[in-house]
Amino acid sequence: MTTTPGLAAPPSPVPAPAGPGGAAPRRGLRRDNLAGPLMAGPAVLLLVLFVAVPFFAAVGFSFYNVRLGDPRDPAFMGLTQYARIFTDPDVSGRFLSALLHNLVFAAVVVPVQTALALALAMLVQKSVPGIGIFRSVFFLPVVFPIALVALIWRLILARGDDGLLNSLLAFFSGGNFGAQDWLGSELTALASVIVLSIWQGVGFQMVILLAALQQVPADLYEAARLDRANGWQRFVHVTLPGINTTLVFVALYTMILSLRVFDQIYVLARSGGGLNEDATRTVMYEAVTSAFDENNIGRASAISVVFFVIVVVLSLIQRRATRERED
Amino acid sequence: MSARTRRRSRAVVLGAGLSMTMVLSACAGGGESAAGDTEGDGVVEVWAHSGQAAEAEALEALVEQYNGSQEDVSVELTLIPEADYTSTVQATAAEDLPDVMEMDAPTMASFVYDRKLVPLDGVVAQETLDNRIEGVRESGTYQDQTYAVGMFDVGLGLWGNQQLLDAAGVDAPATADEAWTAEEFEQNLQKLAEASPSGNAIDLGEANGFAAEWGTFTTSPILWSNGGTLIRDGAAEGVLNSAENVEAMEEWASWKEHTDPNTSGTAFPDGDVALTWTGNWMYPTFSEALGEDLVLMPLPDLGNGTKAGHGSWQWGVTPAAGGDQAAAGAFLDFLHSDESIARMVEANAAVPGTTSALEGSELYGAGGPLELFADNLASACGSENVTQECIAVARPITPGYPTVTSSYGGALAAIWGGADPQEELDRAARAIDADFEDNNGYQDE
Repeated sequence: MTTTPGLAAPPSPVPAPAGPGGAAPRRGLRRDNLAGPLMAGPAVLLLVLFVAVPFFAAVGFSFYNVRLGDPRDPAFMGLTQYARIFTDPDVSGRFLSALLHNLVFAAVVVPVQTALALALAMLVQKSVPGIGIFRSVFFLPVVFPIALVALIWRLILARGDDGLLNSLLAFFSGGNFGAQDWLGSELTALASVIVLSIWQGVGFQMVILLAALQQVPADLYEAARLDRANGWQRFVHVTLPGINTTLVFVALYTMILSLRVFDQIYVLARSGGGLNEDATRTVMYEAVTSAFDENNIGRASAISVVFFVIVVVLSLIQRRATRERED
Repeated sequence: MSARTRRRSRAVVLGAGLSMTMVLSACAGGGESAAGDTEGDGVVEVWAHSGQAAEAEALEALVEQYNGSQEDVSVELTLIPEADYTSTVQATAAEDLPDVMEMDAPTMASFVYDRKLVPLDGVVAQETLDNRIEGVRESGTYQDQTYAVGMFDVGLGLWGNQQLLDAAGVDAPATADEAWTAEEFEQNLQKLAEASPSGNAIDLGEANGFAAEWGTFTTSPILWSNGGTLIRDGAAEGVLNSAENVEAMEEWASWKEHTDPNTSGTAFPDGDVALTWTGNWMYPTFSEALGEDLVLMPLPDLGNGTKAGHGSWQWGVTPAAGGDQAAAGAFLDFLHSDESIARMVEANAAVPGTTSALEGSELYGAGGPLELFADNLASACGSENVTQECIAVARPITPGYPTVTSSYGGALAAIWGGADPQEELDRAARAIDADFEDNNGYQDE
C-alpha cells in the first residue's frame, strides 16, 4: 500500500451538529433495537468473514508449519515461529530492521507529508481561473498505478551518469558531484522510497485539507484582517484551529498507511529497480515474501499477528493523544 | 503486469489456499482415493502459462489441430498469466488440478512432493522419452523418475556487438573451450566500457531484478564455473557459503563498475553497450537490431569450465487425470512431435526439446547461429555434481527450491548493493537449512 488511502472515506471536517442538549433523543428505541443490528448485519457479516476469520486463521497457522499446496497435515510447531521472530538472529534481525524501517518511514512521512499537503492545499485554494488544472496535476500521482510510479522514479534515480537526478546534479555542480546509486546504496535507499511515497501520496492529503480549508468561515479572516493580523498570524490563529480536526485525521491516516508500506518496495526490489532490499524491507514486505516466495505461511502468519499487536498498541496511544487534543 | 494486480490475485490465491488448508485439516485422514480411479470421459483438461503472445498462440493452434485430428479425445486449454501461474498451481488441491499441466522446470520437484504429478513412464510413449535432449531429460527427472517432458529448453549466453568488440580490439570466443577466463573478462570489460557509447560495457540483466528468480538463474553459472554450487544433499551450510561461492560473488559484484543499469531496457540492441548476459529468447530482438553484428559467446570460465543455466517450461500429468491418463499421454506425445515442436520454437526461438527436432532446426542445428546453445545443452548435468566438462546445469531439483531461490536472491540483491558476500551467503545458507529442517528435509514420507 502506498501512503494513499484506499477505501475509507474521510470524516466530515466539520463535526455534525449535536441534537438539543448534546444527546440524541431517545424516542423509537425499541424499533432501533431491531433495525440497527439488521442494517449493520451485512457489514458485520462481511467484517467477520473477511477480517475476523482470516485473523483467527492466521493465529492458528502461526502455530503450525503450513505450506501452501502440501497434502500432508501441517506439523505443530508451538511458539517456535514467535520465538524465532524475537530470538533467532537471522529471522529477528530481519523482522526488527523491517519494523525499524516502518517506524523511520512513519516518523518522516507523517510530519513532512502532512505539512507539504497543507502547503499545497493553501497554494491551490485560491479561486483563480484554471486552478482546477493545478489541483489535478498535484492529485495525478495518487491515481497512478504503482508500476508506473516505480518506472518514473527508476528513471529519475537510476544509478550511473544516465540517471536524471545524477545528470542534474552533475550539471549544477559542474561535474563535481559524482553519480550516486540512490536506490542501491544503503544510505539513500530508504530516503529514496520516502521521497517517492510522499510524491505519490501527498495529493490525496492535499484534497482533504483543501476541503477543510474551504470550510473555515471567511468572516474569521476578515475579522483577523481588521485586527491587523499579518499572514503568519492569520495562519496560526485562524487557519490552523479551523482545520485542526482534519489535520489530526490526516496525520493519523498517514501513520496507519505508513505502517502498511509494501507496494513501492516490492516493485522496486523485485522488478529491477535495483532497490536495496535489506535497507528498505518493511514488515508487510517480510510477511508477503515469507508466505509467497518461501511458501512459509506459518512464519508469515506469526509476523502478521505480532505486527497486528504492535499496530493496535500504536493506534491506542495515538487515539489517546488525539483525544486530548480534541477536547 | 503491475504488482498491484499481482498482489490482488495473490490474495485470492492465499484465500483459496487458506480455505483449502482448513478443508484439508477438517477431513484429515480421508485418504486420497477420489481422483485415482475414475473412468476417463474423453476430455483432457490442460493448464498452461500465458507468457509471450506468440507462444500462447502457437499452443492454442496446436490444441485446435489436435482436437481436429481425431474424435476420441477433446483437449480443453486454460491459459493462466505467467506471474500467477506457479502460485495458482501451488494453492490448488491435487484433485482440483487439470489432467495435464505446464510447470516451470525448478518447480517440478515441489509439485512431486505435494503429490501433484505422476511418473510419466508408461503414460507418454517411449519414443517421446527417448527423443528428449539431455537438458530436458535432466530437468524432468526427480528421484530417478520422469515427471515432466518439455517441448523446448533455454540457455544463457553472452551476446556481443561485433562493431564495438572490434573498436575495442577484443576477440570474441566462439566455442566453450575458448571462453574468456575471469581475468580476460575483467580486462575486456574495461576495454569495452571505453569503446561503448554509454561508458558501460555490459548489461547483466540488472533491470530484471536480482532478488527474483532471474537472479538465481543468471548468476548460478558463475558459482558453478568457480567450482561451487547452491545446495548439496539438502544442505546449504558449507555449500552455498563456501569459499568458492564467496569468491565468485566478489567477482560478480566487481563487474558492477562496468555494468549498465539498462533503464531504457534496450541498452544492448541500441548499441549502447557491447555485451549482454541473457538467454536465447532475446535472439529475435537482437538479430533484428544488430543483424550481422550480433555474436554469441560462452559465459566466462572462472576455472571450472564455462557454465550456463537451463530449464524452461515443461509438461506433466496430474493424479486428477485418473482414467484419462492414456489420453493425457497421447496429447503430450502429439505436443512432442517434430512438427508441433517446430511450430512452437518458431514462435519463441527456444531450443527444440527433442533430438530429431533439434537436428532439423535452422537456428540451433549444425552451423546455425545459435548452435552454441544446443551444444551446451548436449552436455547437461545436475547442480549437485557439476563437472569440468558439463556446460548446461539445471537449478537444484528439490521441493525446497522456493526457499533456496528466495534466500539466495535476497543475498544477491544485497551483494549487488554492496553488502559483504560472506555474511549474506552465510545468512542465506542458515535460512535454507532452517526451512529444510522444519520440513523434515523434504523427505517424501
